[in-house]
Order: sequence, then structure tokens, then C-alpha cells
Amino acid sequence: MDNAKKPILKIENLEKNFGELHVLKGINENIYKGEKIVIVGPSGSGKSTFLRCLNFMEIPTKGHIYFNDVDLTDKNTDITKVRQKMGMVFQHFNLFPHLTVMQNMTLAPVQLKLKTKEQAEADALELLKKVDLVEKANEYPNKLSGGQKQRVAIVRALNMEPEVILFDEPTSALDPEMVGEVLNVMQALAETGMTMIVVTHEMSFAKRVATRVMFMDEGVVEEQNTPDEFFDNPKSPRLKEFLSKVKHI
Amino acid sequence: MNMFLAKTLGEQLYDTLIKDDRYKYYIEGFFNTILTSLGAIIVGLILGLLIALVLYVNKKFGRLKILKAICDAYIYIIRGTPVVLQLMIMYFVVLVFIPNGIIVAIITFGLNSAAYVAELFRGGLEAVDHGQLEAGLSLGLNAKQTMAKIIVPQGLKTSLPALCNEFIALVKETSVMGYIAILDITFAAYKIQSRTLDAFVPLIISAIIYLLLITILTLILRKVERRLARGQR
Repeated sequence: MDNAKKPILKIENLEKNFGELHVLKGINENIYKGEKIVIVGPSGSGKSTFLRCLNFMEIPTKGHIYFNDVDLTDKNTDITKVRQKMGMVFQHFNLFPHLTVMQNMTLAPVQLKLKTKEQAEADALELLKKVDLVEKANEYPNKLSGGQKQRVAIVRALNMEPEVILFDEPTSALDPEMVGEVLNVMQALAETGMTMIVVTHEMSFAKRVATRVMFMDEGVVEEQNTPDEFFDNPKSPRLKEFLSKVKHI
Repeated sequence: MNMFLAKTLGEQLYDTLIKDDRYKYYIEGFFNTILTSLGAIIVGLILGLLIALVLYVNKKFGRLKILKAICDAYIYIIRGTPVVLQLMIMYFVVLVFIPNGIIVAIITFGLNSAAYVAELFRGGLEAVDHGQLEAGLSLGLNAKQTMAKIIVPQGLKTSLPALCNEFIALVKETSVMGYIAILDITFAAYKIQSRTLDAFVPLIISAIIYLLLITILTLILRKVERRLARGQR
């Protein structure tokens, strides 16, 4: 890790409560450009909430999040501007069913006047080519398989040309035979140097792609390391226990 | 004519429609019913959508608290009182300065329909998956853009069948217009009946006119529905 560089995301004392429930109990992290962070942990550990706080899908209860030095928790920050540079891919794809694949991909960049319609469409076609879905450009999402939907969701986020992409369990809603095609797209994306933060249960993906694996448990980052160290030499008892349960990989 | 002898159907038809040009009551009534219904549908649609948006935005974003309270009270009052009373209150009290009964009727039925349309729209908007809202926001669209481009188009489609029912119900609800002395299809029958002293034929003719009107409206709405549903899901 190049600590001399400024982090793209700086998280300070992040806490989140849902009513009485204390989900995040103080997280401090620096995330640098080009890192691929994979967050694993048991369900209910707060990993999705942590991810969703980063683009303010959930509003933190306490603490600060800085994206390129802009404090998201500052009331004067225009959060929509920040989100334009921070893509998100959801567990349930969330494609817009009333729009074609092409319209799904061009709606935001054109609405936000970041691209002309022509430019957005040209870029969209280029991206669709990379994920092997050019022939689906004018289809509605109901004509796509789950894996295809998620690939479209990824390139929809990419057409905004984000600096970071957040993945919230991107393969959890997929049939097993479709997990591979989505992970492959994500791996290819990782190889382009994109900064990625991925919440997943796919340990093999963590091993293959992550530059850093985080283990979250009970609202804190319990342990983190490079994938090799993380999986071969876990230190905390809770991580050891967690890994023993998912050892089948 | 001898009051104590039953008239033939032909005689009744003659008395109801031809004598003294009584068919003109039906024609005027027909146009008044259509005009009032159309006007009320438009008022109801626009106001209903606005109310539904207020309710939805309040629920999802926690904004517009005061407007939301006003809308709640509005729906509560409209749904809790009969439309014929609303009509009379408007004509004889609130809008007493508007001499044109049809305008009062359009406003009243429109305001009435808006409460029901709002509930239908709200149901449609809330049926749109929450993930759609999150996806729009995550792409950097603001709340207004997300509503306009993603939530409202989907919500409208969902509520369309129920809206069509509401339009049809509205046309028939206008049949109480006679209470403020507007000649509509129903009141036409009543007027003719009071002249001919036959109830059967004038009332049946009114019923047939409504049936034809609703049939045509249903066909048109079905076509619109099919066109809008194209390409989705």
C-alpha cells in the first residue's frame, strides 16, 4: 500500500444505529486509488451497512466520510455530485424495467448533462461489447437472465465513469451457474485498475482479486490483510472460526 | 289520453322522445354528463397525482410534512362524506358566486375524484420496488429526477387498471347532478317522467345511454392501457 498517497476514501469513527440496534461501532479506514477491498463476514456483521454508508444510501449516525477530501457528512455537501463518481451495484440488480438496456445505461449521464446522448450511447455500446451484451442493447430487462442483468448493472454504473464502485453482494441473488460470468466481469474490471469495494460471500473471488480482505464482525473491522495472509494465517479467533465455516472453498 | 288504460310501448316511446321534442332533454343531458365527466377526470388526475407525490415523497424522504397533513385531512373529508352532499355544499355555499352549475360540478367531482385517484397513484408508486429509488440515487440523480424518470412512469403503469375503474365510477357518480338542477342523462329521464307520468321508458332509455357511454369509454381505456403496457415486464 502506498501510504504517501492521499486516500480516495477516508472513513473516520463511522457509526450507524438503526433505532436501538448499534450496527456499526466505529470504523476507521483509508482506501486508496486502485485498491480492491473485499469485505467478508457473517450476516448481520454490518458489512452491507458499512458499504451503503459510503455513498449515503444509509446516513451515518456518527463520524465522517471523506471522498477526495469532500466530507460527505457535511450538510453543505451535494451528495448527488459525490454519487456521480461512486458507482454502486446491488444484490438485486435494480435495472429499470421500463427502460431498455441502452436507456438504462444512458439515462443518468444524459440527464446529468455529463455526456451528450450520442456520446453516452457510443460509450454504452463500447461497454456492452466488453461484457458481451451488445445484441441486448435494445431489449428490456425482463428479457435478460440474472447474470446478464447484473452485467448490465455493472456497465450502467461504469457509463458514469466513476472513480470507485461499490458492490453489495453482487452474486447473492444469482443462480449458481451465473455467478461465474459476473465475477469474471468484475475481475476484468479490477484488472483495469478500478477502485472497488466488494461485499461478498465468494471467498475464491476474494483470494483471486482482492488487494486487501476485511473481516467484519459485530460492527467493527475485526481483522484485515492481504488475501494470502488473511486466508492462510488468520489471527483473531473469530476470523478463524468464520473461515473454518466457509472452508469448503 | 286515458290515464287508466295502459299505453302501448309505441305510444310510450312517442311520448318520451318525440312529443314536444323531448329527445332534446337526452341530448343536452348526454353532453352535460360527458362535459362534466371529462372535466372532472382531468381535474382529478392532475390533483390526484400531486397529492400522491406529496404522500410518497413524505414517506420516502421524510419531507413535506405540512403538505402531507393537509393531504391526509383532504382525503379523510372527501372519502368520509357523500359526493351529493359535497356537490350541494359547493353549489349552495362555497362556490355560490359561480352561477354556472356545470363548472361547480366539474370542480366538485374533480376534487372528489382526486382523493380516490391519489390513493390509487400512491399505491402504484409504493408498489415500485425500493431498489429502483436507490438505483436512481446511486447513479447521482437527485430525488426529483429519480421520481420523474424512474418512479412515476412505473407507478402510473401499475395504477392504470384501477384508474380506469375510477373513471368509469366517476361518470356514473355525476348522475347526482340533478340535485343542483343540471340536466344530465339521469335528470333528463326524471324530467320526462314528470311530464309523461311513465317511469319505465324514460328511465330505461337513460340506462341504455349510460351503458353505451361506459362501453365506449371502456374500449378507449383498454386501448390506452394496452399501448402503455407495451414493452414492459
